[in-house]
Amino acid sequence: MSQSLRPYLTAVRHSLEAALTLSNFSSQEVERHNRPEIEVPIQSAELLLQPMHISRNENEQVLIEPSVNSVRVNIMVKQADEIEQILVHKFTRFLEQRAEAFYILRRTPIKGFSISFLITNKHTESMKTGKLIDFIIEFMEEVDKEISEMKLFLNARARFVAEAYLGEFVY
Amino acid sequence: MSDWRRIDIDAFDPDCRLTANDLIPPYERQVTLQELQPKMEQLRTLSSGGDTRGAVQLITQDPPYSADDTTKNQYFQVVLETLSQVRQADIINIVKELNTEQQIVLVKYLYKGMSLPEGQKQGGILLAWFEKLTQSSGVTPIVHYLSDRRTV
Repeated sequence: MSQSLRPYLTAVRHSLEAALTLSNFSSQEVERHNRPEIEVPIQSAELLLQPMHISRNENEQVLIEPSVNSVRVNIMVKQADEIEQILVHKFTRFLEQRAEAFYILRRTPIKGFSISFLITNKHTESMKTGKLIDFIIEFMEEVDKEISEMKLFLNARARFVAEAYLGEFVY
Repeated sequence: MSDWRRIDIDAFDPDCRLTANDLIPPYERQVTLQELQPKMEQLRTLSSGGDTRGAVQLITQDPPYSADDTTKNQYFQVVLETLSQVRQADIINIVKELNTEQQIVLVKYLYKGMSLPEGQKQGGILLAWFEKLTQSSGVTPIVHYLSDRRTV
């Protein structure tokens, strides 16, 4: 792991550890409803806690939005050029379409971020909180590797295709 | 009034919901930029004179909670300058000398810095501060930050 990535990931880990203290909380507005308060459109301010913004640079950021019974974790994946933008978009869309297999994945990211997770008290009750944090940290580690690997593969493939195609015109 | 069933009647009841402004603790008076000016000057002289320890102590004492947002942002520029002038090796010792209150203030400045574009350019430095802070006192300041409604 590179030297500057480690403080970034530990900052995210500690912030998540602090934020993932969720309790069951019924809706104050609608009777017999129990909804993640961070996702409610017209929120009561007392249910939301201070958002935590962690950034390594302009292109790599995490925004953690805690509330009384849910935490939303938004990740901006590094996108250095247009190829990476496309790859990140395709990759996150692929995961989001299978969101139910990941339990905590949100189907759409919030504006300005690549991918969002929504952790509710249901998740922390049925799963180990430490392992949830490990999952998000591991995801952040892996996604950068995955994208750069895909980019290399894409370039190699493009070169091969171009050679095969243009080779036809050599007499 | 065709879709009167869709009107959010709770929005017309002032006691129904608390807004973010209701949660800000009542301050006796608002600190203005003029009053902060001497403190900013003092910070500049301390950090340019190499007394980074004194500068950080000064930052974390009595932050301008009651000021408005533009004042806070202008004050924060000086804070960010000071924090980025501290040498990496000194950070751990400076952090250890802060008491719990001061560490909470420091973590507020770090999160604020990372949410602003000026601070994001210095992301590495702020993350180094953050790492040292969590090394010395764990998640305690972060938990305090989460529920504290006084912002810097």
